[in-house]
Amino acid sequence: MTGLDPTFPWLTILLLLPVAGALLCMAAAHSPDGARRIALVTTFAVFVISLGLFVAANPAAGRWFFFEDAPWITRFGIRYTIGLDGLNLLMILLTGFLQVVAVLISWPVKRHVPFFFALLLVMETGVLGVFLALDLVLFYLFWEVMLVPMFLLIFVWGHHNRVAAALKFFLFTLAGSLLMLVGIIALHVIHRDQTGVATFALDALRTTQLDGATSMWLFAAFAVAFLIKVPIVPLHTWLPDAHTEAPTAGSVDLAGLLLKTGAYAMLRFGLYLFPAAAARSLNLLAILALIGLFHAAWAAYVQTDIKRLIAYSSVAHLGLVVLGFAAWDAVALQGSLLLMLAHGITTGGLFALVAMLEARTGTRQLEVLGGLWRCAPKLSAFFLLFALSSLGLPGLANFSGEFLILLGAFRTQPIWGVLAMCGVVFAAAYMLRMLRGVLWGPSGQAVYCHDLTGREYAILLPMTVFLLWLGLYPQTFLVPLQPAVALLLGGAP
Amino acid sequence: MSLLELLGLLPVLILVGASTALLMAGAWWPNFRRLLQIGIGAALLAAVVAVAYTPPLPEVGNLYATSLLPRLFTALWSLTAAAVLLLSLRYGVSRRFDGGVYSSLVLFAAAGMALLSSSSSLFGLFLGLEAYTLVLYILIAFDRTCPQGAEAGLKYLVPGAIATGLLAFGISLIYVAAGTLHLPEAATASLAAGTLRPVALLGWLLLMGAVGFKISLVPFHLWTPDVYQGAPLPITTLLATGSKGAVLAGALPLFAALGPARMEQSELLWLLAAATMLIGTLCALPQQNIKRLLAYSSMVHMGYLLTGLIAGSPAGDASVAFYLVVYTVASIGAFGLLISMSDAAGERQDLSTLTGVAWRHPVRATLLGLFLLSLAGLPPTAGFIGKFGLFLAAIDAGYTGLALIGILASLVSVAYYIRVVMVMFARSDDSPTLPATVASEGIVIALCVAGVLLLGIYPGPLLDLLQPLF
Repeated sequence: MTGLDPTFPWLTILLLLPVAGALLCMAAAHSPDGARRIALVTTFAVFVISLGLFVAANPAAGRWFFFEDAPWITRFGIRYTIGLDGLNLLMILLTGFLQVVAVLISWPVKRHVPFFFALLLVMETGVLGVFLALDLVLFYLFWEVMLVPMFLLIFVWGHHNRVAAALKFFLFTLAGSLLMLVGIIALHVIHRDQTGVATFALDALRTTQLDGATSMWLFAAFAVAFLIKVPIVPLHTWLPDAHTEAPTAGSVDLAGLLLKTGAYAMLRFGLYLFPAAAARSLNLLAILALIGLFHAAWAAYVQTDIKRLIAYSSVAHLGLVVLGFAAWDAVALQGSLLLMLAHGITTGGLFALVAMLEARTGTRQLEVLGGLWRCAPKLSAFFLLFALSSLGLPGLANFSGEFLILLGAFRTQPIWGVLAMCGVVFAAAYMLRMLRGVLWGPSGQAVYCHDLTGREYAILLPMTVFLLWLGLYPQTFLVPLQPAVALLLGGAP
Repeated sequence: MSLLELLGLLPVLILVGASTALLMAGAWWPNFRRLLQIGIGAALLAAVVAVAYTPPLPEVGNLYATSLLPRLFTALWSLTAAAVLLLSLRYGVSRRFDGGVYSSLVLFAAAGMALLSSSSSLFGLFLGLEAYTLVLYILIAFDRTCPQGAEAGLKYLVPGAIATGLLAFGISLIYVAAGTLHLPEAATASLAAGTLRPVALLGWLLLMGAVGFKISLVPFHLWTPDVYQGAPLPITTLLATGSKGAVLAGALPLFAALGPARMEQSELLWLLAAATMLIGTLCALPQQNIKRLLAYSSMVHMGYLLTGLIAGSPAGDASVAFYLVVYTVASIGAFGLLISMSDAAGERQDLSTLTGVAWRHPVRATLLGLFLLSLAGLPPTAGFIGKFGLFLAAIDAGYTGLALIGILASLVSVAYYIRVVMVMFARSDDSPTLPATVASEGIVIALCVAGVLLLGIYPGPLLDLLQPLF
């Protein structure tokens, strides 16, 4: 395939574009419409570039599809190293796509519009940077850059319990990331004492000789930071609150992107840096993932707030993703990466739909909602489609990923596969309960006024295309992953 | 003192000369703005001379070194003084400050700080420290209309006097043991094995106590919040930055002189640093007064700096110097914004007076948030790189426990810094109206923003400049 010139610093452009857009948004402080348009143009440009990168990615060309490296803080041996390979390719595509959705879904935001979009764009840079960074300090920097914008999005534009939710999100994540910082510095010092080379480069640090205990401690420091973000039970308690209180774009980004940064980092950094410790922890990881799957499914089943219900369903899906990691099998890993993409689209779409619903009815409570199909059949159809994708209906996005994970889990530990299968059945239970409560039944006290608008179509139709493509022909997305997954498995446990 | 030696102190002479001239001129020509502008010019000139001019002699009168590092600190404190004067232009007019006395005292304080940072002898250290402490007694109580000012001045005076006593007594004991006050001989000779070694150790202990008072380490910290609260904001800026930073800058050669004996001090310092970080953090958490909050937070920063000092390596010392710059820039920025928010009616000390301020003054609120995040050490601000260097050096030297305490303190510190941000960005229908920023304040704040971001994103040049100096 032809495509982008790999010698051109496309990745840097990708990282700088949203920051530039954010500055422009702030410059347009007195024109809310201007800020909206700037944000849309910027995110769209990022999406186009990410699409271009996806098309240009050639699995035969070597490990990195795109790669940039430059000295940054030489005094500490920190480099500006970013690269695109099979592990982050889908994540970049997802980020580019979902951010456009997030901007479109936030069009009706009234309060402090330029600031809102500026934050959304800064966060995009943070997320893209986390996915691309290959130097540990650079990675940490982007990891923190994601934090403050999300905090402010929840804090300023959230719903009535936003203050506590924002603080909880902030402190949970920060606690994890500072733990990771200790791990990064310790690993760096050990590596330098061994080799005399001061570096934070991922591949170099991987060659550090660690004894069993040290390796376990360091792995734990990284893993806790990532698993808080994923989040995996019992580190998940910040998520339902953050989701419930966040504005819609915040929920879309949280579920679609921020959770993925945790899972992705677990794969790229946690499991890759400490292969020996990781090998010993896979069982524990699988158990945690399965507990999370069941706990979240159970919790989702009793929620009355549909946003909270979907938030718990995210925990369950991410549990499945982590189970795919724990299986440490080529098929399962591809499934995990695919499910991460699919979950981003599906859950992002569901949160968008909840926002549309709330805009019409003023509520998210299951007992109040009901009978939507009669008043707004088109909206309901989309709701049904995305919910079915979320429960893993074959032919829709989530199925392919879930199937591959289950297959891989069976190959590693049949009992994991069996248990996970049951968990997936649970997903059907809570999703169908939600559908029954929202789409059918008596219309309750809620009054509906109109069906989908043009802007809402513009959000939902591309997502639907994505949803079907992922479900019907996932091969497009699987092929570029294979070399990276093989490389990951090759040297590791 | 020969002419060549005088040339070695040229930046300090500029400061002191201008200080004296302004004091005299102010008596006959009470033009507040002009007097302050002259003071700003003199401070900038001193900073330029300090950096650009290499003196012919390496040392002046066996008291003060003239190598690059002391001169860089001299420039830093001169720039701090210039920033304080710039920030006082509007603030001082509305409070009817006497321009001549005020600018004269600020310049004199900068001269004292410069001397302290350059001292190569314990006597020089004493002189420098006293020079600016005396000035600060006056400056803290400078606002005669503010009753808390006098209280704060007194609260600084009493512990300050005790610290002076401790310092003088400690230095004399070290002299008894070593027979010299010049560094590094005083350190090595006094701590060499011998009958006088216990005397010297007592001397060093007293000296540490005096230093602890000045940079408000726990348990010598009790004066800090009251004095910060009562002093006029520009002077609080000076207290938080130069007054503490100069002591640490002066401590750098002191500790380097200790050589291997540094390890002996480190257990005590370990305790002081850990207690300061923990207690400072816990005390800052419930504060509703932003000046008191920053007072406790400045204590915590002293704990971080001490962590780098304890590491006892050239890398640790270099990271202390780097963090001093970063901390000074971010503090001046944060206090500068608070100054720009206060008007003739008073300072906005109470957090609640800033509720929702971001919605009417988004730029100032965002920038204050940026400075606070730099103090909290979040990337991509300079505070992150600074703390990274400190904790890296500490872990490197085997002080992992202390580094962990520091990182824990950083985590909790985010909670109180972010609280200020939360107040400013709170939804509010009645957000306060702030006075318009004047150009002088804008310049200082803009430079600090540039500093915080530049040193956070591209710290290489400054790090490379500082590293070979240790």
